[in-house]
Amino acid sequence: MSQPDALILAMQKGNEAAFSKIYDLYSKNIYSVIYVILRDHDLTEEVLQDVFIKVWKNANSYSLEKGRFYTWLLNIARNTAIDKTRSKAYKNSSKNLSTDNFVTILAGHDQLSEKTDAIGIRKFVNQLKPLCIKLIDFLYFKGYTQAETSEAMETPLGTIKTRARNCMNELRKITLQEGTL
Amino acid sequence: MNLEELTSSGMLELYVMGALSQREALIVEEVLEAHPKIVQEIEAIEATLVNLTADESFEVRKEVWNQIQSSITGTRTLQSDSPKTNWSMLSGWAAAILFLGGIFWMLQQNNLLEQEIQTTTTEKIVLQEKIENTEDALVETTELLNILRSQDYREIALPGNPTVSPESFAKVYYNDRDKVAYIDVKGLPTPPEGKVYQVWSLIMDPLTPRSVGVLDGYRTSENKIFKLDNIPDPEAFGITLEPTGGSESPTLSQLYTLGMVTI
Repeated sequence: MSQPDALILAMQKGNEAAFSKIYDLYSKNIYSVIYVILRDHDLTEEVLQDVFIKVWKNANSYSLEKGRFYTWLLNIARNTAIDKTRSKAYKNSSKNLSTDNFVTILAGHDQLSEKTDAIGIRKFVNQLKPLCIKLIDFLYFKGYTQAETSEAMETPLGTIKTRARNCMNELRKITLQEGTL
Repeated sequence: MNLEELTSSGMLELYVMGALSQREALIVEEVLEAHPKIVQEIEAIEATLVNLTADESFEVRKEVWNQIQSSITGTRTLQSDSPKTNWSMLSGWAAAILFLGGIFWMLQQNNLLEQEIQTTTTEKIVLQEKIENTEDALVETTELLNILRSQDYREIALPGNPTVSPESFAKVYYNDRDKVAYIDVKGLPTPPEGKVYQVWSLIMDPLTPRSVGVLDGYRTSENKIFKLDNIPDPEAFGITLEPTGGSESPTLSQLYTLGMVTI
């Protein structure tokens, strides 16, 4: 997806309408990322609010010339969500089971969610190799570093990049076949 | 690394996911700026990820946005992306820092000088003391010299006792009128630990020794000349080695020197 540079510039100048459109573009995806980490809708909504308030307040610390807006936003979201996992509210909800990945969590098949809680995930994701699901789960949804991912998956550090490349290629191929892009 | 290599390395995928180290992310960002072709690749990766969660059946509740909107209204007045440099404030701070630095430097200098003054004062006191000591010693020596040169004093030689210490010798300068004597014992060996020299005046017939002084200042004395008072008409002077504090009567086996007063 191409980056809405004009909207970002307008938001940086204090345009609330532009900010609202940016929210519309990214909020659902960011909600999912936060939800995979927290697995609680109330907490996720809370964090989503925090994230976009941070984006608004710190909009000028992002620069179009340097880096991608999505990556910037994603980092804020995951960091805020991970901060939340250290809070009392999260610890009381005791959702720190680790066997679930983003596919089961988002589809509502994880150990905690009711089916009705599902956020939904594209069906084609099931065609991905389990290894790719794990890899995308760690790197993208959980914000692991390469070293942490390599340890969690018990694979050499040097292969993380190429595996990520292969898995994303596979995902792109499936997506194209499904005609959803 | 050329574009082809960068694209196939997996770095772009990890960049979008925010999983690159800061150093690697900077490399990608530099290439991004220069090559729009890479931007297309990045956008495709972003689309693939966002598409994962694009299920139609779920929407974020409208209340979330309402909350955000109500908490941001009027909270941000920043209009420019590059804040203007406030030169007057900066120079004010710079001046303040320089000023503080100057004060600290001066304080330090002051401390150093004060320390130097203290050291010099101490040195001065020590030197003054030395001068005083030297002056005292000079006065003492001059006095002594005057005494020894004067007609009132007789010089009596006390040669070493051949059986105890043949190398030893001493001299007594004796004033008949005042019954005062000065004894020069530079020619005696330093007494061993726990022993002192004791000076005796002797009357020969019958042999009557009388102690006229214990030289317990021998070790500390510079010129080894001691003054002895109240000496009753002696016929001879003797020096013996005695236990510290002196003895009642001389230990004759430790008689170092003996000299007769010749009239």
